[in-house]
Amino acid sequence: MTRNWRFSSVAALAVGVFLHPFTAQAGEAPALAEAVAAGNLPPLEERLPAQPEVVTGLENIGTYGGKLRRMLGGSNDHNSILRIISPQGLTRWKADFSGVVPNVAESWETNEDGSEFTFKLREGMKWSDGEPFTADDVVFFVNDLLNNKEFYPNPPARFVVAGEPMQAEKVDDHTVTLKFAAPYGTFLTELATPLAQEPVLWAKHYCQQFHPAYNDDVQAMVDETEAVEDWPALYRLKCGEVEAPNRWSNPERPTLDPWVVTGEGYSAGSTQVVMERNPYFWQVDEEGNQLPYIDTLEMGVAQDNEALVLEAIAGNIDFQRRKISNPANKPVFAENAEKGGFEILDMINSNSNSMAIHFNHTHKNPQMRDFIRNKDVRVALSLGIDREEIIDIVYQGQGEPYQIGPRPTHVLYNEQLGKQHTEYDPDKANELLDAAGYAEMDDEGYRLFPDGTRIVFNAQYTGVEQPDWGDSLEIIKEQWEEIGIELNSTSVERSIYYSRGEANEHDFMVWGAPGGLDPTLSPRDVLAVHPQASWFGIPWTRWYLSGGSEGEEPTESMKKRLALYDSFKQEADQEKALDIFRQIHQEAADEMEIIGISLAPNLVGVVNKNLMNAPRSLPSSWMYPDPGPTLPQTWYWPES
Amino acid sequence: MIWRYILKRILWMVPFLFGVSIVAFLLIQAPPGDYLTTYIAKLGESNEVLDQASIENLRARFGLDQPLYVQYFKWVSRLLVGDFGMSFEWRQPVSDLVWGRMGLTLCLSMATLLFTWAVAFPIGVYSAVRKYSFGDYLATTIGFIGLATPNFLLALILMYIGVVHFGADVGGLFSNEYKNAPWSWAKVWDLMKHLWLPVVVLGTSATASLIRIMRANLLDELNKPYVDTARAKGLSEFWLIMKYPVRVALNPFVSTIGWVLPNLVSGAVVTAIVLSLPTAGPLMLQALLAQDMYLAGAFVLMLSSLTVIGMLLSDILLVLLDPRVKYD
Repeated sequence: MTRNWRFSSVAALAVGVFLHPFTAQAGEAPALAEAVAAGNLPPLEERLPAQPEVVTGLENIGTYGGKLRRMLGGSNDHNSILRIISPQGLTRWKADFSGVVPNVAESWETNEDGSEFTFKLREGMKWSDGEPFTADDVVFFVNDLLNNKEFYPNPPARFVVAGEPMQAEKVDDHTVTLKFAAPYGTFLTELATPLAQEPVLWAKHYCQQFHPAYNDDVQAMVDETEAVEDWPALYRLKCGEVEAPNRWSNPERPTLDPWVVTGEGYSAGSTQVVMERNPYFWQVDEEGNQLPYIDTLEMGVAQDNEALVLEAIAGNIDFQRRKISNPANKPVFAENAEKGGFEILDMINSNSNSMAIHFNHTHKNPQMRDFIRNKDVRVALSLGIDREEIIDIVYQGQGEPYQIGPRPTHVLYNEQLGKQHTEYDPDKANELLDAAGYAEMDDEGYRLFPDGTRIVFNAQYTGVEQPDWGDSLEIIKEQWEEIGIELNSTSVERSIYYSRGEANEHDFMVWGAPGGLDPTLSPRDVLAVHPQASWFGIPWTRWYLSGGSEGEEPTESMKKRLALYDSFKQEADQEKALDIFRQIHQEAADEMEIIGISLAPNLVGVVNKNLMNAPRSLPSSWMYPDPGPTLPQTWYWPES
Repeated sequence: MIWRYILKRILWMVPFLFGVSIVAFLLIQAPPGDYLTTYIAKLGESNEVLDQASIENLRARFGLDQPLYVQYFKWVSRLLVGDFGMSFEWRQPVSDLVWGRMGLTLCLSMATLLFTWAVAFPIGVYSAVRKYSFGDYLATTIGFIGLATPNFLLALILMYIGVVHFGADVGGLFSNEYKNAPWSWAKVWDLMKHLWLPVVVLGTSATASLIRIMRANLLDELNKPYVDTARAKGLSEFWLIMKYPVRVALNPFVSTIGWVLPNLVSGAVVTAIVLSLPTAGPLMLQALLAQDMYLAGAFVLMLSSLTVIGMLLSDILLVLLDPRVKYD
């Protein structure tokens, strides 16, 4: 929806050209050609769809062979696999993150009000086991899983509109219509996000054996499978979930991915995950050569992030930024780049700020609440921070004073939201606080509430994960002394931090601010919509999510924004949708509920200097699951 | 006699482990929040988002919406038929995850134990017999350094030197080509080539302390009258020391076997993480951090069983070794 911004380095990246006439003499990997000659595999034209998607690599037509080496963390790093495989959804991001293009779908049509989407699938397209991929697979997901109360007691929110889950209608074998109870303007964009792959994740011909509607003996399978209590658990164990390690632990599960997992895949015992090319992959290059070019993905597993950095500088990683992207690693990489044979990836940070301070506007203590809800007070607290000093000391000079909101390169950039009150002006801050009625001070020079108690912020942060937040808070503590405000900060364990926030027991919370490049996808800092991250008003979020029956009614400004957000989700016209978000941002800028410290600096990664067609600069985000949308299936090794 | 003793000890393990299962379950539940809170936090860190509906689904699926005692009884009743339940984090049966790790852990433990003994035993004897000699001082100095250096630091230093100066492949227990290969002699040889580093790292401090213990114990024994008697009867000096004082001084080696197994699972976690060893320690730590209670519970139960078995082994060995020890 929103990504009409550009940055030159990736603007030229691979973009799908669909419905390209498929005429050229097709090529395939030597190993597959041998298998065809030996009669173990059907010929290429039977494996490819009638109209395979033709994609263009960043630089050249590639050559087949070789392996790509990456590293995974010892646990919870399954999304690293998802990112390099790329979520093969009905739509996908353009490589420059500026919008979506057809992917698994060949094309689509939308009805007038944006509540029905008819997808044309590719005729002759196959799953990785050679079985046809058809509209039945999509209908299977919608009818037998999404709308099955046993499988989804509460269907995922992205497939629910106006309280009704998505419905599907098969038009013919290669055409399917997805219907919603009300307009859903952001649906096509939503389908490109990593967790929205479910409509085309599960092959009916394989997964139906774990479903009671298709197999009467499911209960017997449940009984004989350890640790499984019911059929949904069995189904998820065998067919995988969209976002869980078990998605990569069953090599028998058919996929639409460029590479398929071999052996045991990713599990707690893995020391390495190996994936081999999918002989039925449905994309070709401009000359009709079947992708991917690279034969094998080889992903080692290491527990410790420092060990990953060591592997990177030793030249044992061909393309990666996950787990090693801390800007502090940049000098280490620069020093070893030549010896390790790699270049440094410049990952454009999708975050807005390194550290946002979420004042609790719904504080339980009425005096503190009044204090925080006074905009002059918030302006004073922002003016009382010398951001340059923090950036120099804590962030090695990387960054610039910033509040929140889209980054300056983004089409939705709002200068007021990003830059207002970021100068250091303790005199003005003191004036504002005096004028706001907090002029009384105690013997030690701290301001007092009307009842005579000292104004103190007690803040917690997750110091193990983010030690920089603690350093910054220590500096802010000293700076706020100048304006008579006391700050005490303590590092706490993450789940304590979360339970405090969810119980609304915080004065303020500290967290990195998303929404720099993905403001419409991660709007949680300008809208009270996220129950575990919109820390400035958790009861407001509850109010919004429960339709007004729980939590606390938000301010007029927030209610206005939430109403705008509802209309944004229904708006199918991109330009109008962007305008709605401009209003949301303007409203948030005028209200200034939370403040930030420094524009989040770019992240780093490594890329083997010989790896062709791979970008050297790209966006880094979860919603744009880097590097997937830059099409790793087009990367290749030059023949030596 | 001894069989009855062993049988009785084994029978006692049942109520003991039952008690351990309750304590383990309560301990894992003790921190605030549950698996889902940590899971959401982890996702939040990389700006990944789960919607509320999915969270509710997961909570119901994992039974986290039920009271604690229901969760406990569900777990224990399945344990009785050998089903450890489903790991929240890996979404796979716990038993699939645990056994492979335990195998390599045992292998590493045994290798480390042998290394420790092979080094500590002769040095300990030597530095007792040649008290205050140059060799004794040398062994003592090295021993103290070994005791004082944290294992993980030693691991980091060795790894850094290996990678930067020798281009060695140091992480893990296998080379890339053998990681997923079935067991073969080549794979065993590959394991041997990688095993020395963790064994040295893990073994140094234990070796150092055993040298000191051996030396001190032996010094106590060497001055006893029975040694003089034996010497007076003309026994060669080597046999004299080996046959009596060393046998008595071995007591601490044997009586600590019980601690060796659990120690290598839990004590060497940081080292195993640094060296990317696919052993039980890092997985257990992660399970505890994530409050993945079935996986963590399985490890805690196994550790307890190992301790009990280890203690039983030491007791049996002690009875055989030291005539002064009586069973009852």
